[in-house]
Amino acid sequence: MRYYLSCCALLLCSLWGPAAVWAQQLPTPASPPDSVPISRRRHRLAEVQVRAVGPERFAVGSRRVELDSAVLAQYRGANLADVLQARTPLILKNYDPGQLATIALRGTSAQHTAVLWNGLNIMLPTLGQNDFALLPVGATTRVAVQPGPAAALYGSGAVGGAVLLNSDPDWRPGFRGSVQADAGSFGLAGGSVEARTATAVVAVRVAASYREAQNDYTYLLREARGPVRYTLQNAALRHQWSISPDVAWRVGPAGELTAAAWLTDVDREIQSGVNVVGSQARERDQSRRLVLGYRHVAARRQWAVRGAWFDDVLNYQDGGTPGTSRVRTTQAQAEHTAALGARGSLRLGAEAQHFAALVSGYGPEAVAENRAAAFALLRYDPRPALRLSANLRQAFLPAGPAPLTPTVGLEWDLVASAPDSLIRRATQALTAKASAARSYRAPTLNERYWVPGGNPALRPESGFGYEAGLRHRLAWSRSTTLETEVTAFRQDVDDWVQWLPSASTGIWTPQNLRQVRSQGVEASTALQLRRGRYAGGVQLAYHFTDTRKTQGSAADSDPVGVQLAYVPRHQASFSTDHHWRGWLLSGTFGFTGFRYINASGTDFLPATGLLGATLGRTVHGPAGTSLLVLVQASNLLNQAYYSYPGRPAPPRGFSTSLRLGWR
Amino acid sequence: MLQHFLIMKKQFAPFIAALALLAACSPSGEETPVPNPTTGVFVLSEGQFGVGDGAVSVFDKATKSLTPDAFGSANGGAALGDVVQSMGVQSGRGYIVVNASNKIEVVSLPDFKTAGTISGLTQPRYFTSTSATRGYVTEWRGPYTGYLPGVLSILNLSTNTVTSRVPVGRNPEQLLALGGKIYVPNSLDNTVSVIDEGTGALASTITVADGPSSMVDDKDGNIWVLCTGFVSYIAVPPYVVQTSAGTLVRFNPGSPNTQLKLTFPATASPGKLRINPAKDQLYYSFRGAEYQVGVSATALPTTPFIRRSFSGFAIDPRDNTVFAGISPSYNSNGRFIRYQATGAAIDSFTVKIGPNGFIFY
Repeated sequence: MRYYLSCCALLLCSLWGPAAVWAQQLPTPASPPDSVPISRRRHRLAEVQVRAVGPERFAVGSRRVELDSAVLAQYRGANLADVLQARTPLILKNYDPGQLATIALRGTSAQHTAVLWNGLNIMLPTLGQNDFALLPVGATTRVAVQPGPAAALYGSGAVGGAVLLNSDPDWRPGFRGSVQADAGSFGLAGGSVEARTATAVVAVRVAASYREAQNDYTYLLREARGPVRYTLQNAALRHQWSISPDVAWRVGPAGELTAAAWLTDVDREIQSGVNVVGSQARERDQSRRLVLGYRHVAARRQWAVRGAWFDDVLNYQDGGTPGTSRVRTTQAQAEHTAALGARGSLRLGAEAQHFAALVSGYGPEAVAENRAAAFALLRYDPRPALRLSANLRQAFLPAGPAPLTPTVGLEWDLVASAPDSLIRRATQALTAKASAARSYRAPTLNERYWVPGGNPALRPESGFGYEAGLRHRLAWSRSTTLETEVTAFRQDVDDWVQWLPSASTGIWTPQNLRQVRSQGVEASTALQLRRGRYAGGVQLAYHFTDTRKTQGSAADSDPVGVQLAYVPRHQASFSTDHHWRGWLLSGTFGFTGFRYINASGTDFLPATGLLGATLGRTVHGPAGTSLLVLVQASNLLNQAYYSYPGRPAPPRGFSTSLRLGWR
Repeated sequence: MLQHFLIMKKQFAPFIAALALLAACSPSGEETPVPNPTTGVFVLSEGQFGVGDGAVSVFDKATKSLTPDAFGSANGGAALGDVVQSMGVQSGRGYIVVNASNKIEVVSLPDFKTAGTISGLTQPRYFTSTSATRGYVTEWRGPYTGYLPGVLSILNLSTNTVTSRVPVGRNPEQLLALGGKIYVPNSLDNTVSVIDEGTGALASTITVADGPSSMVDDKDGNIWVLCTGFVSYIAVPPYVVQTSAGTLVRFNPGSPNTQLKLTFPATASPGKLRINPAKDQLYYSFRGAEYQVGVSATALPTTPFIRRSFSGFAIDPRDNTVFAGISPSYNSNGRFIRYQATGAAIDSFTVKIGPNGFIFY
């Protein structure tokens, strides 16, 4: 224990060190280059024909990580779990390539991260979570992660944070598109298409992808007679389809009508663990999502309405009678945003959700459930250098109202320098930020209706979290920037739901049993360089996550004070990208500290470090065409490791992509 | 440009140093010596399904020392497998039935060094043996949503292979070898299959009550069969209803159709029938408690012996000490508690996940 503490103390010193150094060189304050106060932004809205204010405007003081679009382009054929693992120090519990992959933002559970697609929660209502292996990267144009409680903005499940997927209309006129083919180790094959076109009033984008993988790699199992090499069985990704068309249509000077669909279909064999012999489990996941929206953006006010229809199928079979599940979700949202004087804006809104679930585990009858919520979001900037937000959401669940979830946030530009004498032509900005929020998670349909054991009396989980940090930006001219951010957080979750077997009947049932506290530090730094025809960057990030059960009821026998299973204390990621003429060279290194595999804190998976690299070459052809050849390598050090006990991870692997683009 | 890199270096150097430190942060394992024979207790821990962390811990009563994973420690860190179901002992060898791994690991005792693996099994459950060369294992067949009639596999313990298979009823469980016969309770039916040791064939089928799952023989030469009864699941607490009551059945092997039947209240399923070394006291679990009843009783007791739910229960024939396993969640390590023969608790020890059985060696 003392050893860990000393490890951590050293780390903290090393991470806080540079920030403290800068804090001592603070010159005169001014406005930072990259943050636009809402009052100024309003003028911008008038210039552009339609420009809506996103919910992140009301998330002042909370950390937000947006994946660069150039990075997303590299991982176009992959799924969200792949790109997050390669490029961020976020914790993903991953059962093997293409198999179930769930996120644990800030040490919380998979059900504590809300996943929103174009502003709508797409968590599977039965399980209350998302399998990140089912979400292809190329389907959307923007991927952002907002760690920290944000329930006031994003509703149920945004306890540990939210993952925001958006497909924004591209209004650049003309036609552009690309076709890509992928092939790689262990039977990987795939392809994707993306096409966009826009006129002055209509913008259309279609993205589609296909992927399959045999995942028939070998692994070494240590048996009593000695090490034996086996080939992984029943782990193939048989097919993964995704198609996502989006249309935006400008109606009059202030209106925009949008329609977006996202259809996914995944057929995969389910790896039961290499010590389980002879399993033939298969799973079919199909999601059909459609959202229609209209928004009206005027100078002083804007309003929006959205309707969404989701149809999620999850069918599982392992030799017995199939377990089937189909949930139809209908959602409606309405919001109105108005300027409050010159410095503020207020958004009021409401949403409703209806679930109709036909799940074999609930019995032959369909189960229906309604949920609703109302919210008020306030942004106020008393001075350009001081930005504040205060939000409130009240949700209504079948078992009664959820906890009221307020959020407050603050950002304060401590320093914003003009050219400085220490470093020639450098400008710097230092912003302090803080936020605090309550959050909640509605019980899932499985938790309420599963037979046997479903508990309709389950209370929503409630969270309280706060974070504070510093963001520093140093710029030498426009071509070179160094951005550093350090955030410390604490997150408490109460009424944490745990499934436990009854002592008398042995039936597993979920109950509100425990309190969990997660606290830690997230630090990141990114250097961007641009010089002539060279553009490149280096990103380094580290997360320290300490998550423990702090209290539990008598029925909850898991020990108190032990780091939760599958939450590594230390995660770090390093990535570097270099573009020069038509060349691209990228490298990634991801470090995951050891993590326990059960609640006792005795058995663990050892630390792993994974190295990846990408080499690409673009050749421009006639008539706006281009050809990109991309070679990617994963696990270059060929580490033999387990991402989950009994699930050997793939050895060194390669893939090649060929992309033909035109504009 | 140089300045940029100096700043860069200042920025990244602490991270790189920190990374090097992190790699050294993993905890380290520890080993304890394997205890002497005659004071050893082997504690079977199922482990978490799919994780492959089933284990046999060796507890030394004399020193109270515990080897958490005796098989791994003795065999270079090899994993025993997924769901350690049961274990039998014969002629200085241990036969560990690993259910989801479809195998029996054979070890020499007491050192737990490997002595072979019996493979080619499907859903193996319980093992017994009648000689150094003859073993038996019950196996289930079919998926959990539609089980098929199972088999009793007859094993050649010299070659660690399956000699032949005898079809029995659905989900055959804790078998009993007695008087040249093998009695196999078919837990998803209401029968006990009787296999003749000499011919290796099914001799007869005895009808008992719904759900026979565990069996013992008493001092009078009678066989006791604990039948769990059947349940179905419902959407409201307690989520389970007993569609047929549990029954404790007694018969004499010479006249198996003359049976004493003690019926349980239809509120829960009884399980895990055990007998003391003197073979005059029966033990079983019912409704979250452990009960004791004499072999001459004509009614079931209403007061528990120990008011506690156990995932494993056994009595040490050497000194009548009671060993009981506690598996709180299958997500954290289990424990076993030792009790005096009177039911007074002595002490408890932490073992791996899901302790479900004890072997005294």
